[in-house]
Amino acid sequence: MILALIGFTLSGMVPITLTAVGEIIGETAGLFNIGLEGILLLSAFAGALGATAYGPLMGILIGMGVGALISLLFAIVCTYWKGTQMVAGIGINLIALGFVEFGLIRFSSSAGSFPIPDSSQLFRWITPLGLMSPIVLIALILPFFAYWFLKRTRAGLILKAAGEKPEAADVAGINVNLVRLTAAVVGGALAGLGGAYMSVAWFGFVSKGMSGGRGFIALAAVVFSGLNPILALLGGLLFGFFRSLGLWIDTLIPGFPIPAEFLQMLPYVVTLLVVSGAIGRVRFPKALGAPYKRE
Amino acid sequence: MTKHEEPSHRSYYLRAESITKVYGDGTTAVRDVSVELHPGEIVGLLGENGAGKTTLTKMLSGLLPPTHGRVTSPSGLLRFSSPREALAFGIGMVHQHFALVGPFTAAENVALSHEKPFTRVRLAQAIERLETLMEQSGLRVPLDVPIEKLAVGEQQRVEILKVLSRDVDLLILDEPTSVLTPLEVDELFSLLRKLSDQGTSIILITHKLKEVQTITDRVVVLRHGEMVGDVKTSDTNTEQLAQLMVGQALDQDARAVELSGEELPVHRDVRAVDRSVESILHVEDMTVRGNTGETAVEDLSFDVFGGEIFGIAGVEGNGQTELVESVTGLRVPISGKATISGTNILGVDPRHIYRLGVAHIPEDRWELGLVLPFTLAENAILGVHRWERFRGPLTLLKWGQINRHVRELMDRFEIRATGPGAPAKSLSGGNQQKLIVGRELAKDPAIIVASQPTRGLDIGSAKYIRDLLVEMRNAGRAILLVSADLDEVLALSDRVAIMYEGKFMIVSEPEKLGREQIGLLMGGVSQEQEVAA
Amino acid sequence: MSAEKKTLESRLLRGAHKTLTGLTPALESVLAAIIGLFIGALVMWLWGYDPIVAYKAMLLGAFGSKWGLADAGAIAAPLVLTALSFSICLRAGMFNIGAEGQLLMAGLATVCAGFFVLPPILHHAVAILFAMSAGAIWSMGPALLKLTRGVHEVISTIMFNWIANFLSLFLIGAFLINDFSADQTIAIPSSAVFSKIMRGTDLTYAIFVAIAFALIVYFVLWHTAIGYEVRAAGLNPSAARYGGIRNKRTLFLAFVLSGVSAGLAATTILMGSSAIHSMYRAHGQLLHVGFDGMAVAMVGRNHPIGILFSAMFFGGLSAGGRLMQLSPNPVPVQMVRLVMGVIVFTMAIPELVRIFPAIVNGTSGFIDRLRRLVSRTGRRRST
Repeated sequence: MILALIGFTLSGMVPITLTAVGEIIGETAGLFNIGLEGILLLSAFAGALGATAYGPLMGILIGMGVGALISLLFAIVCTYWKGTQMVAGIGINLIALGFVEFGLIRFSSSAGSFPIPDSSQLFRWITPLGLMSPIVLIALILPFFAYWFLKRTRAGLILKAAGEKPEAADVAGINVNLVRLTAAVVGGALAGLGGAYMSVAWFGFVSKGMSGGRGFIALAAVVFSGLNPILALLGGLLFGFFRSLGLWIDTLIPGFPIPAEFLQMLPYVVTLLVVSGAIGRVRFPKALGAPYKRE
Repeated sequence: MTKHEEPSHRSYYLRAESITKVYGDGTTAVRDVSVELHPGEIVGLLGENGAGKTTLTKMLSGLLPPTHGRVTSPSGLLRFSSPREALAFGIGMVHQHFALVGPFTAAENVALSHEKPFTRVRLAQAIERLETLMEQSGLRVPLDVPIEKLAVGEQQRVEILKVLSRDVDLLILDEPTSVLTPLEVDELFSLLRKLSDQGTSIILITHKLKEVQTITDRVVVLRHGEMVGDVKTSDTNTEQLAQLMVGQALDQDARAVELSGEELPVHRDVRAVDRSVESILHVEDMTVRGNTGETAVEDLSFDVFGGEIFGIAGVEGNGQTELVESVTGLRVPISGKATISGTNILGVDPRHIYRLGVAHIPEDRWELGLVLPFTLAENAILGVHRWERFRGPLTLLKWGQINRHVRELMDRFEIRATGPGAPAKSLSGGNQQKLIVGRELAKDPAIIVASQPTRGLDIGSAKYIRDLLVEMRNAGRAILLVSADLDEVLALSDRVAIMYEGKFMIVSEPEKLGREQIGLLMGGVSQEQEVAA
Repeated sequence: MSAEKKTLESRLLRGAHKTLTGLTPALESVLAAIIGLFIGALVMWLWGYDPIVAYKAMLLGAFGSKWGLADAGAIAAPLVLTALSFSICLRAGMFNIGAEGQLLMAGLATVCAGFFVLPPILHHAVAILFAMSAGAIWSMGPALLKLTRGVHEVISTIMFNWIANFLSLFLIGAFLINDFSADQTIAIPSSAVFSKIMRGTDLTYAIFVAIAFALIVYFVLWHTAIGYEVRAAGLNPSAARYGGIRNKRTLFLAFVLSGVSAGLAATTILMGSSAIHSMYRAHGQLLHVGFDGMAVAMVGRNHPIGILFSAMFFGGLSAGGRLMQLSPNPVPVQMVRLVMGVIVFTMAIPELVRIFPAIVNGTSGFIDRLRRLVSRTGRRRST
């Protein structure tokens, strides 16, 4: 039972961590994307369709591509066209809701859910922890790589400069908007991976409520992490843990007095606590959320 | 227009031929300027706010394409699409607002402009390079501290080092001394001399005549976008330059004082101020912390009486801002006392402070003084919007009253706008400031706290506001004037205090202070005697 | 004589110019709406639907008859209120997207108010009071977190939305469940229900509640000192502080008012347009009203009057969308939300405005030429 709990924790961690790391890259460069929820949903949907048509690997890639594309559009609007990041993000969420619901009705036989045939789902390893997707491994390793990248390469320095003081980056010859675009595309691809993972490699279907607020939890994880990818991994594990706890508590401790709904609330309450506690010590890039205008 | 004859065989570094810049909205920033720059020359670019200096230098450094004319170097047309390209060519600019990344150290800031993207940052190399540079130039800065923790003068040094590390042939400095103490200015100038001896050309943008006299070989004067003078520094003097800069013979007092640095009798009333009555503003042993935890104001005590202008002079950043914030309810000191006519004002809401008869003309009119998207009417009641004059029951706003009031203000203070419903951001700087001043004076205040009241204003508006302050003083009100413009403070104040690192170095009547003495005090060199006012 | 004529002409010209530039924000919304509808059509076409037929059905359904209009109004009422909820906080400089959760809590409160036995008007009042209070209370959590711990309201309101979701599920199941149908709560008695204005439609007097509240919000924001402080705090917190405005208190007030608005929205649905006057366990009628309200708010430029128009527009789209589903080429109504999303996304772009000065200049240039033509004829006549 404990093993199953660990297994579920790891699986649940994946979309959060991947999306969070992607958003960390974006926010370091100065872009605040509140549309992550929408990207998760859309890439889950795209991944599902793609996998059904072309196989699991293509499905995953298509999901990543969709995530990258949406983030690219978001970034173009918010850098070159000086758009408001908050509004664009909310727009993405609404579009995703409408598009996916619309699409589910159009493409699936059962309303609200689109199952992916077993052959189109990504293979899973049989482990003592349960069925684990290889993507879990990626999600475990990626944050460390991202950390090294941000801290030790000049590219990381450039990203930070673009987010902290774009004027200085500009003078140093850096194309701030291009940097932000690149960061957004990478971040979007990661979020897309998270979304596609959910449908193609984890649940095996896509439904309209699938993202379940994970996009926003990822945002909270970003705050919690102070833009440190490794801490984002920790945040993802925390959430995965509490989510699965809610599902498993009845089996682990039968007759547990607290009703199921309260346990399901738990991840969100914990997020609140974490975010409230963490805010004091976290420092965000000064130019976050604002488009860069060269004087 | 005095033309500077150059022997044609002398090599030039760059040349501007009849360049003009007209912006999209139709304004002509620079008109038909032709000038040549030579290696090893220090050229002062003189002009007032809005004369076109920054635009001209942007064109000279190849970053801004001229609408007409061209800029060339011996190797061809000068056109760069980014500061990086210009740097690669050899043109480096040190801006007024530094292009440094706060949390980065000096080394990291320099590394930003050097290596290729995906290599590991070789900080060790960057540090080595910087240390060599520091030796050569004589500039010293700590290399491992995040630059946001450094003093402004140090930050500027990092900025200069950053540019120097690229081996520039032309160094452009935009008003570099506005944030330096006199001591730091001397250091900067000796560095510039060293560089020019080594063959680097230097353009020094400034509006300070004395600097031009001190350091430049040549002076180019701009007025309203046109070049009105290009002379060898040794061939001219400050009066001539002042004339060129301003154009017409102006009302002697304010402007002449500002330009020539000489003291002239200004509207000072010979009436002695009665200091036996209670002062309007009384500050006692006040200590204030700044934003980064440092002590901005230390154990300060002073009084401002009705009918006098008490001026605070000093280089910006020595606690003036924090001092003003403390007596206007925007910051809470950690110790001390401050009262207005006996009532405590420390830790008190601005709202209540205004009711005690305090008017505050803030140093940043866009950030504090106005809500730019609001209309004139809405801005005119900022701070007094809850006063019975403008507010009815249930906090209803009496717009009729308010609009009438605004129209009166527009009349009285000659504020040019299309009406009370115009958005504040559509007004010129001068009119915006007049709106703020009008609003504050309408409070019928006992004391006016004016912080940098004429900053960034055209001559006409600046003079208007100065005259107004003097008028208020003559009417018996108290005025606390804080200004980084030394000449302004000296000309207007009845008593002046020179502030350095949170303390008053001296409080005295302006006439009793010598210019050199003032400079030293501003730079922190204290004196034995304190002239009691 | 010609001098007077000139001043009249120039005044007309200035007036026209001012109206056109003043209308620019509205024109922006129109442009965004057109783009949204276009993308919607594109998706429909790509997925094998006929967009023209669909839109025709939608338009007819919404605006082609008084029943369609009534239904549009019924859908618009709650949208006005959730849009106001978002806009009030936006004016104060904050992104409060907690309307969904506040709505749910207020819905529960409304159902609870149904327990009382009271004469109709009083019962309405009590129910509305309960709903407003519940919405206000639920908005205080994020407000306090922001003001004391600096928690970004976007994250906190979303968390509160989800907490409300599960909390209401629990409460419904534990206390309020209907004896006859485990899917619904107990019904609100008819004494607390808004009566219909038009039979056969969903339109009730709830629409008046919505309009009234919108007018109140407008009045408060632009004609009282409190509203002035909210707007100032949102546009320039430093200047607001300089002006003696206590930002924290003002922001808190804005949050509470937002919660009140969202609470009212719940009443317009449960006591108004909903087919049954009880809450579905799965929150059916209340789902998405909060998020849709945001779209309405943005298109309405965050101004109460604009919101009224914008809500009617979206109401029309949705009402028409329902009919669209019954047409020979049925398109799911979810397409409407897609259109809404695109509209919102488009509105994030400020450059939209660039197009309009061009139109404005072009129009005034046209008027100019007209004027010259007129004056030339005038001169000829006078000679």
